[in-house]
Amino acid sequence: MTVEASTIYLLDVPSGEAVEAELRDAIEEKQLIDWQTQWQPALIAVLQQLAQRHVPIADWPQSWHWNWRTKMAQVHGLLAFQGFSVVCADVTQGLMRVDLTKFARVPAEDGKPLVFVDYLEVAPWNRPELGHAPRYRGVGTALVTAAVALSEQEGFKGRIGLHSLPQADAFYRDRCCMTDLGPDSSCQNLRYFEMTPEQARKFLEEESES
Amino acid sequence: MRLERSKQWWLARAKKEGNTAVSAGLLALDPMQDEPSESAVPIAAEDVRIAFGKFINLMRRRRGLSVEQLAEEASLEVSELVVIEDDVHYVPEPRTVYQLAQTFKVSQQRLMQLAGLAQVKDASLHQEAIRFAARSEPVQKLTREENAALEAFVAVLSEQNAK
Repeated sequence: MTVEASTIYLLDVPSGEAVEAELRDAIEEKQLIDWQTQWQPALIAVLQQLAQRHVPIADWPQSWHWNWRTKMAQVHGLLAFQGFSVVCADVTQGLMRVDLTKFARVPAEDGKPLVFVDYLEVAPWNRPELGHAPRYRGVGTALVTAAVALSEQEGFKGRIGLHSLPQADAFYRDRCCMTDLGPDSSCQNLRYFEMTPEQARKFLEEESES
Repeated sequence: MRLERSKQWWLARAKKEGNTAVSAGLLALDPMQDEPSESAVPIAAEDVRIAFGKFINLMRRRRGLSVEQLAEEASLEVSELVVIEDDVHYVPEPRTVYQLAQTFKVSQQRLMQLAGLAQVKDASLHQEAIRFAARSEPVQKLTREENAALEAFVAVLSEQNAK
């Protein structure tokens, strides 16, 4: 399979300048290596800092550890699915896996095919919710844009669906104007969002006006 | 798939993203601290080991393999396979379970739990194991071959008793 790479631009937050990046329509071995060797240590460091604010590590139970093994196994499974990645400065900045076998739940679109985003994550150093300014801004937006574009390409008219992580609810509801279908008990009560064809059109139109 | 947009277009979108988090799907959740769940209850390993033996037995038979053939394919001892299928008290070696998981293309982790080598934390797996063990209990009459094998074995046992 040939991997297509599109040139995109991210905002380099420290300098305020635009930087060139690649949006690739695949997740390859290089992405998994970056995840393991760069994302994982960075996230551990951040999580430890956060935890330290409340409980000294010395007081943590001996059995304390993060379930990285499970997550690593799942991440290694990414190679088997259709995915997208954002690469900047030769480092993976964001990952997305999509599923084209799911159907819409919004009443007006019920049963119609959509692009289901079953995994979207940006590198820890780009995540403002971890308590520091992101290095690059726009990685998540680029991946959502790719999902909408893929949906159009597949004839799904821009329909996408996803389960948002709690800290990202506002992004999908307010920035992407997606329909919030509420907590999904089949997915740890994460809120399920969908973008209808009309919302997708608006999403892309807003972008082309900018 | 190729996206064609201008530099200004992407930059405007990046600025609009602001300081909001963007992530989706369970896989994107940060790893959680491993703690015994409140709902996790100790599950008797023997319960699920019944299912383990039956599972191996049925998987072997579904593939039309004799114990000897499965032992050869999975690089295991025949004697160990016989014990696995017949003795719920037997706890196999991790390597044995690994070889069986590879041979039958099932989750090594789950098979480890069934075999009693890992704690079953998932109550649904426990329930499924018991249900499987119950449902897979054969109710049909013995085949001619089974009858013949049984009679032959009974005969051997009788001889031993006689001595």
